[in-house]
Amino acid sequence: MALLTVENLSKQYDNSLVVNQTSFQFESGKCVALIGPNGAGKTTTLRMLSGLLKPTSGTITFDDMKQNADIRGNIGYLPQHPVFFKWMTGQEFLIYVGRLANLSKQEAESRAERLLDCVGLTESAKRRIGKYSGGMKQRLGIAQAMIHQPKLLILDEPVSSLDPIGRRDVLTLMEELKKDMTILFSTHILSDADEVSDELLLLHEGRIVESGSMTELRDKYQTAKIELGFDGDLHKYKEQITDLPAVTDCYIERDLLHVNIQDMAAARHNILAIASAQEWPLTSFAINRASLEDMFMKAVNG
Amino acid sequence: MQWWTLFQKELIENMRNVKWIWVPLIMILIAIMDPLTNYYLPQIIEATGGMPEGAKIQLPDYQPSDVVMMSLGQFNTIGVLIIALISMGTIAGERKNGVSELILVKPVSYLNYITAKWASFVLLTLVSFSMGMLASWYYINLLFGELSLVALLHILFFYGLWLMLVVSLSIFYNTLFKTPGLVAFLTISTIVLMGAVTTVFSHILEWSPSRITNYIQKMIVTGNVPSDLAGAAIVTLSTIVLLIAASVVAFRKKELAS
Repeated sequence: MALLTVENLSKQYDNSLVVNQTSFQFESGKCVALIGPNGAGKTTTLRMLSGLLKPTSGTITFDDMKQNADIRGNIGYLPQHPVFFKWMTGQEFLIYVGRLANLSKQEAESRAERLLDCVGLTESAKRRIGKYSGGMKQRLGIAQAMIHQPKLLILDEPVSSLDPIGRRDVLTLMEELKKDMTILFSTHILSDADEVSDELLLLHEGRIVESGSMTELRDKYQTAKIELGFDGDLHKYKEQITDLPAVTDCYIERDLLHVNIQDMAAARHNILAIASAQEWPLTSFAINRASLEDMFMKAVNG
Repeated sequence: MQWWTLFQKELIENMRNVKWIWVPLIMILIAIMDPLTNYYLPQIIEATGGMPEGAKIQLPDYQPSDVVMMSLGQFNTIGVLIIALISMGTIAGERKNGVSELILVKPVSYLNYITAKWASFVLLTLVSFSMGMLASWYYINLLFGELSLVALLHILFFYGLWLMLVVSLSIFYNTLFKTPGLVAFLTISTIVLMGAVTTVFSHILEWSPSRITNYIQKMIVTGNVPSDLAGAAIVTLSTIVLLIAASVVAFRKKELAS
């Protein structure tokens, strides 16, 4: 059974439809990435799931709860730019939100301690949040989202605003977390999604244009392509390769010859045959897998 | 309990930003300003160079009831202003800077959230006001003559209700708007407008909360609680309850993020 089911969710502001009839669902235990360019409606969608915004139409169903019920107790949410009470310490804040989520005092304290350890903030636990760095705030943000052990963790652009070190910390943390909880996170950085997620939702102009697991999408959008590297001028070989059977076309980009092909086995054989017969100075021969970027562009452009 | 957690957080916040120090101090200051300056006016004039030769100054002979009304008059202006200023950002500010996005996605009941904030500011206001009036009472008894403890307690009760109404108005506007300055402006404007309307339609609006101060004067002079004061108190209390209820309803309908 699906943990979260979203049906025909829409959000309208004045005349613009920010989220347009979006439907998706996923099961418990997955790490789902919501991918889309800025302005695609990712944040609006996540805010509707977290109860911060009210959908214009559509339904959100969580687990076995009623449609559009108050699901705040079951989810943890990290906004894109979390803001804390600057005058509180990290530890105080975690205990405070834990108590708000109806944990007992002892529970809140012990959860706070474990989470501070888990996100690597034990040493800064008693410092005012006003003095935390961006990465520390983001990690505290993840900790506060998990304080009441929610069934679903919703993270809005958890790594986009971080420097490389902070980004690495948070991605590692997410790898850890996905072992025992369901995560839905948004990002516009495709390689981050590629790295940690099991399932992808591609959002474009308020609609889900594609969804599925990484392998499913790879299979679907797999373009047969071979990249060749040469010592010396590439242009000499371009025409010869284009004329080969099983090759559709061929272009040069970043010192590599990109060859689009119809039949992988035949094309490989033909290229390698001509290369060895004419003693081409090949430096690389690579069969390319479709990148997330390619998939996204294809899905968006139809 | 969730309400208590929210309430405690407000208390600690107002402790750390030292509102619990400066608000009582200012309230004491404005309460004793008039009793002291009026009593020492001759000496003050003397010290600043005295009156011209031959000029005579006739100072009215103030009764304790007159002086206590002067203190209340200060609360009517500066006191209201301070309440509006200290409470203007309590919800509006949290929504503006985004911290409410973290708090309100927890299973927080809006009723608890709003009433805890209301209660914390009511407490701060009433404690500060009471300290101010106690100080004023002390100087009145010392310098102008006796004002009974019973009269003081009545003043604290009835005028306290009026100040609670100011806090409730501010909380109400806090749930409607995200700009703290606008909240303060609207709170003060509403109080001013209410006073003006009450003056114009005084024959109909006998139980208007704005008249509590007038009735308190009557009460001190006559020594009994006028029935109109009781009436105004009931109207004030009902308005407070209505404002809180309206705040919760308004907040439920609100989009909590933009």
